[in-house]
Amino acid sequence: MSSVTVKIPSPLRPLTAGQSEVKIEGATVREVLQKMDSQFKGFGERVLDDGSTVKRFINVYVNEDNIRDKRELETEVKNGDTISILPSIAGGLGSK
Amino acid sequence: MIRIPARLQWEIYSHAEGSYPNEGCGLLVGTTDKDKNHTVHAFRPCKNLNMERARDRYLMDPLCQLRVAREFENSPWEIIGIYHSHPDHPSRASQTDTDRAVEIGATVWSYVIVSVRQGKVAGAQSWVLNENEKKFHEEPVVTVSEEGDSK
Repeated sequence: MSSVTVKIPSPLRPLTAGQSEVKIEGATVREVLQKMDSQFKGFGERVLDDGSTVKRFINVYVNEDNIRDKRELETEVKNGDTISILPSIAGGLGSK
Repeated sequence: MIRIPARLQWEIYSHAEGSYPNEGCGLLVGTTDKDKNHTVHAFRPCKNLNMERARDRYLMDPLCQLRVAREFENSPWEIIGIYHSHPDHPSRASQTDTDRAVEIGATVWSYVIVSVRQGKVAGAQSWVLNENEKKFHEEPVVTVSEEGDSK
């Protein structure tokens, strides 16, 4: 088990009682996010699709690596790593 | 309400004009008071990764978002808003803007939209998402001098 820091973006902080970061243990990103969901009701629903993948409009980084370029939720974490949850910021005037 | 120092407003407008005919985007960093009013203290431009439809869509580079969050994590400032431009269109929030903001539940951020016509800034408005209504509402933009006086 590794102890990692999870950085929470401001749109998700109402779920973590305003905390901007949480220390948590886990061996993979999946384990860490599942523990976050156990600790903070509704967290998993905002970040994961049926628990198996990260929602398409959420990016998850381990340090400076996007887990989509690694092993997705099976990406391993080491002691002292930082997991950042980032809402995908997009839009524009186009409608189709 | 969002307060933007004139110098940063100029930086945002310059970025919007420099991005024309494509959409530009970036992050507004600052503080939020107890009444949820934002004050911008720094602007950081980010890449628009939507290469195929850069003229009418933007997708902010998440690595830029990550680095800006890190840059300010030990300061009293944080990301408080998003800027993007609408080339040759009004500065109203579009349905696409609304849909993408609703997806991420971005009710705590100001969305500043800059209209650029023929390469020159034609106006700007700021919008805040009401999650229950799933609609953006306009908020006042106040330009302040470096000393903090309203203009």
